[in-house]
Amino acid sequence: MKKPRRATGAGPLNINSMMDMMTIILVFLLKSYSAEDVSVAPSDNLSLPFSTAEKAPELAVNLVVEKGVIIVDGKPVLQLTTKDDPSKPGQTLPALPDEAVTGGQLISALFDVLQQKAADSKALGERAGGNADMGFKGRILLQVDRDMPFNVVRSVMYTAGQAQFGEFKFVVVKLGD
Amino acid sequence: MGERRKIENPDLDLTPIMNLVTILIPTLLMAAQFVHLAVIDSTLPAIGPPSTEPPDPNETPPLNLQLFLTDGGLRLMGTGADEILFPDGKPTLADGEAPPPTVPCKSGAACTGVEDYDWKALTQKLGLIKDRFPKEQNVIVVPDNNIRYELIVAAMDAARQDSENKGEDGKSRELFPFVVIAGGTL
Repeated sequence: MKKPRRATGAGPLNINSMMDMMTIILVFLLKSYSAEDVSVAPSDNLSLPFSTAEKAPELAVNLVVEKGVIIVDGKPVLQLTTKDDPSKPGQTLPALPDEAVTGGQLISALFDVLQQKAADSKALGERAGGNADMGFKGRILLQVDRDMPFNVVRSVMYTAGQAQFGEFKFVVVKLGD
Repeated sequence: MGERRKIENPDLDLTPIMNLVTILIPTLLMAAQFVHLAVIDSTLPAIGPPSTEPPDPNETPPLNLQLFLTDGGLRLMGTGADEILFPDGKPTLADGEAPPPTVPCKSGAACTGVEDYDWKALTQKLGLIKDRFPKEQNVIVVPDNNIRYELIVAAMDAARQDSENKGEDGKSRELFPFVVIAGGTL
């Protein structure tokens, strides 16, 4: 039988052009590299508003108000319902369920969670021996969907205020980058 | 001495660099951020004990600037700012009638979206107020119940700085950077 003829003289793979490409990708990625404290998971239910604000976010308790749910530090706390939009017939707005709100504005489920967070943070500060960086500062990052009506935002802010979180930081997407 | 050296020109072995780059690219992809975030600071409206000292008659009363966000437009209110807000004289209102917006919607009647509000006109008006009260830094934003969060952020942007009016250092003119969101009516 005749042996199949091998291709002879094929040199080593030339990877120069691939190296060029990789170098460009590497430079691009290094440029967009960042090590910020706060990250936002992209989601259909949470689109942050755009703003001209410049201040960089810092680490704090993370409260997310998505279209269907309120989340504190990654844990869902309360499911939201919907109600009819009075100004646009046929459309709905996210709303708080009636039974979740006590005394007009306080969201009790959220209040319990935030109070626990505040207590934990204070205990940590005490253990750190009065280190000012570790103690409880009452800061809270609010990531709110841009279509959220103000009455929901107000109840959330009021509840956070009652749980001693008085320094709000509204997370927004920086314009013009 | 008499031996002749064979001159070779071997190809550079790029495989280790390729290995390194192949690992670096996924690492950087994970850390890359394509959406840049920022924060807007705000605090709860502080309610202190009422001042027991009688107000000094020579001192100008605090401006107490309020910005109402409604479906019908933007309305400003401030102690002593009436001349700026109503250049044609303050309108007289019947009982229970809502005052007209200081900055109406571009489309006239009810605003349809965030672009329909006249943010530039608002910034201009606030600039005039800032000219009169250069020391004031606070504004209280009072949104209606169904005003969307996006509008509140746009209002805070319009009140914070005037990006059309840049100073000598290239920075936008600062207007009222301390924004407080107030509850309004339930």
